[in-house]
Amino acid sequence: MSDPYVIDVANVTLSLGARAARVEILRGIDLRVEAGETLALLGPSGSGKSSLMAVLSGMERPTGGVVRVAGADFTGMNEDALARARRGRIGIVLQAFHLLPTMTALENVAVPMELAGEGDAFDRAAAELEAVGLGHRLGHYPVQLSGGEQQRVAIARALAPRPALLFADEPTGNLDAATGGAILDLLFERQAETKATLFVITHDPALASRCRRVLEMSDGRIVRDSAS
Amino acid sequence: MILRLALRDLRGGLAGLRLLAACLFLGVTALAGVGSLTAAVLAGLSDQGQAILGGDVQVEMNQRPASDEELAAFTREGEVSRLIRMRAMAAPAAGGDPALVELKGVDGRYPFYGEFRLRDGALADRPRGNQVAIGPELADKLGVNVGSELRIGAGAFRVIGVIEREPDRVSQGFALGPSAMMDQAGLDATGLIRPGSLFIAAYRMKIPASADPAEITRLLQRDFPSAGLKVEDRLNAAPGTRRFLERLGQFLTLVGLSALVVAGIGVGNGVGSYLDNKRGAIAMLKTLGATSGTIFRIYLAQIGLVAILAILAGLAAGATVPSLVAWAAGDAIPVPPGSGIYPDALILAAGYGLLAALAFALVPLARARTVASASLLRGGVEANKRAPWWALAGALGAGVGIVALAVWTAPTPAFALGFVAAALGLLALLSLLAAAIRWTLARLPRPRAPLVRMALANLHRPGAQTGRLVVALGAGLTLFTTLAVIESNLSAQIRSTIPARAPSFFILDVPSGDAERFRATAARAAPDAELHLMPSLRATITAIGARRIADMAELPEGAWFLRSDRNVTFAATPPEGTRIIEGEWWAPDYDGPPLVSLDAENARAAGLNVGDTLTVSVLGREVEAQIANLREIDWGRLGINFVIIFSPGVFDAAPLSLMGTATMPTEREQAFARAINRDFPSVSAVRIQDVLTSVADLMGQLAAAIRAAGAVAILAGIAVLIGALAASRRARVYDSVLLKLLGATRGRILWGQALEFALLAFILSLLALGLGTGAGWYVVVNLFELEWAPDWGAVLLTLGAGAGLTLVIGLAGALPALAARPAQALRAL
Repeated sequence: MSDPYVIDVANVTLSLGARAARVEILRGIDLRVEAGETLALLGPSGSGKSSLMAVLSGMERPTGGVVRVAGADFTGMNEDALARARRGRIGIVLQAFHLLPTMTALENVAVPMELAGEGDAFDRAAAELEAVGLGHRLGHYPVQLSGGEQQRVAIARALAPRPALLFADEPTGNLDAATGGAILDLLFERQAETKATLFVITHDPALASRCRRVLEMSDGRIVRDSAS
Repeated sequence: MILRLALRDLRGGLAGLRLLAACLFLGVTALAGVGSLTAAVLAGLSDQGQAILGGDVQVEMNQRPASDEELAAFTREGEVSRLIRMRAMAAPAAGGDPALVELKGVDGRYPFYGEFRLRDGALADRPRGNQVAIGPELADKLGVNVGSELRIGAGAFRVIGVIEREPDRVSQGFALGPSAMMDQAGLDATGLIRPGSLFIAAYRMKIPASADPAEITRLLQRDFPSAGLKVEDRLNAAPGTRRFLERLGQFLTLVGLSALVVAGIGVGNGVGSYLDNKRGAIAMLKTLGATSGTIFRIYLAQIGLVAILAILAGLAAGATVPSLVAWAAGDAIPVPPGSGIYPDALILAAGYGLLAALAFALVPLARARTVASASLLRGGVEANKRAPWWALAGALGAGVGIVALAVWTAPTPAFALGFVAAALGLLALLSLLAAAIRWTLARLPRPRAPLVRMALANLHRPGAQTGRLVVALGAGLTLFTTLAVIESNLSAQIRSTIPARAPSFFILDVPSGDAERFRATAARAAPDAELHLMPSLRATITAIGARRIADMAELPEGAWFLRSDRNVTFAATPPEGTRIIEGEWWAPDYDGPPLVSLDAENARAAGLNVGDTLTVSVLGREVEAQIANLREIDWGRLGINFVIIFSPGVFDAAPLSLMGTATMPTEREQAFARAINRDFPSVSAVRIQDVLTSVADLMGQLAAAIRAAGAVAILAGIAVLIGALAASRRARVYDSVLLKLLGATRGRILWGQALEFALLAFILSLLALGLGTGAGWYVVVNLFELEWAPDWGAVLLTLGAGAGLTLVIGLAGALPALAARPAQALRAL
């Protein structure tokens, strides 16, 4: 890849709401992240962590600034273009799992590859589920799985298309300590195997300490970057 | 891929789309049912055309038998059967009140087609000589049985049986009395057929299978253009009944369409709340790379699939309506409906269903595609975005499609357009009122009692369904109130208002030479009776201006006087109460070329003015007359009103009889009827009250059909209410649980909810009463031109039932929220 940075953003701002109720969420973010890095984003509630992740993952369009992610320039893309740009580039794991309740574990993992029109979606989904230790749960629906198992499916779904970048927003927030620990082990293990850049949003300093680089946000700005 | 994802997503069950399915099912069932029933009855008319007409071709003429030349023309085409029919009075020979009958004298060939059958216990298979077969209603009315003796005209007849099946009954149109059938010898014995008496001679032809009845009809009309013949063939038997059924079918279809529009609100609500529940999944799919287009197509496929299933189920249910009606209504419908499937009606209903689904589902579907993936991070708190222009245009296009389809397929497009405009106007008005109600409720002073405050707030808070409920339930209730106002008004007119100002009897067939003797008899039986008699002849209009009626493809709308033969009279001076609005009445001693005075309303409809000409055929002779003046007729008086009055001298040589009215106190009516029947057996004295009862019965049957179609609107409204309750279930459980936590008892919470639904029901009743009464007033006063006299008891009862139902369903739907246990519910919320 000619571009050494998997994330390259400059002067990103995000405002939500209209007129009097307008709130500045992100206030001029500059950030570069190299491929294969593990990075933790810390900060109090309301500091703009999730919003930054939303902008970096193309879930939200910034109000201003330049966003280049995994070789794609998000600037000026509409929502549908961003959805297409995410395919195969970006994987996302959320705190509340957000599995599709009407689909089995296998189907949940296959969906992003089906949406991208890949013919071997189910084979790759099965292999990924096998890799996260759920080879025996392919036909189970989310309600038939424990919280930890659901998050494993979510990790498999995020990694199966082999994205360059994996976002994880409080991935253990809904799990007990033991299960959470196992999920983190799995997350870092799979990251190491797939060589994806891992971008974790967390309140947990212990989790942050497992990442090579740590950022801290406050009031819409990055106030500390361990790399600098 | 889209279908695969759509089907996968549907595994969660169809519960969320139940409202969509129920509403579409109801609307399509109503439309498919009405369409199939109309088609089935019309098919029955066509299939049984020969039996209904009594032959392949029928020629009818007034007050005369066929001439030799005419008879020769009929006989050339095939076998001919002659039948005479007229109105007459029948009375038990042993004494008793006489009753009006539709008397039929048939020959040995009757019927060419179909089966004439008497009930079990008959003394013979058909009447001969001094025998008569009677309709079951006459047996009941006169209290006579098989074997009893009846006096009809100058003859005495033994009842040999009660008629079970009379195949050609329908083709005679609306009957004022039950049937009495005898043979030609019997008819001669009555002495009723005299020069001038009002009878119809019908000649029915049985033609070879290879002959074309339409061609024969055309040739007969061509060969005898001025004979006043009414020629019909088996392909178009009972055209009046067909026209009536087509229009009734159209009206019921339009009522059904209104119900479908109400159901459409349910479709919109159902789809909207279903997609609201899917916001999380939609946002996740977008996060995983689905575009808005993919989301739109996935849910379009789902909703389309459920809509198609609901429409198919509605079509299946609607297709069974003809059989169900045939089974349930029996003789109440004029022709037994065919039992087949009527694809045209089903395709049309499916088309309406699909368009309604598109019109109401497109906007919520288009909104669903705008759900942002970032909403996953904001806990789903996100305002609904405006639907894109193309969705609004598509919904509007589908709505226009429904209107276009309704107008295009209607036998009378102008009426359909007017009805649709009125229905849309009502919906727009209800929407405005709904907004006004929410606005007002939100600005009322806040009550101190918390539960009352909450009940009020539930009706106007953000996300409240009050607006949709007012439109959906309001439309159904308004429709029912309108029907109740019209029906109760007509019943009141028929029961009291009309009889109070109408005469007591119509008098038919007084021989012109017996007028003075008749007056004397009447004066003896009812000294204070007021008698009006006028000369009368049957005439058929054959041309207006230079245009022959037979050559007109379509008669002008509203010019009903052109349709069939009618009574005409002549007079030197204007009859009492005449109001001439154009032209002038002729001089009392006028002796010039024929002039005519015409009903203004019919004249306008036919495009006729003073100075134009009108040609009628009387007793086989054509008379052309110039229109001298136009009159306004008050039909509400129920007197003898002649649409056409000629100047004197035109019919001097014609044999004629007198007809008119007799007005007297009710207590004299029986003596009058018996005296006239005794001294003038050939004269028919028809009690107005009996006629009104027949009309009321017919109106009752029509009202039942309209109510059945309208009931779908109420059911659809209820479905919308249930859907609204389901949509607000979460909020209600939350409110209920919090109130319990704060110390409210279940009784108090229930009271609060009862108050909410009572308020809603009250508002709806008020709206329906106002709008329904307004619409009913318009129909009664402006369209029917009757007095405004609704039965408020019946109207309020209808309204009360509707409002009560709303309250009960609302409370029943709210009960589960009441039963929620706080700890459990809070965990689940």
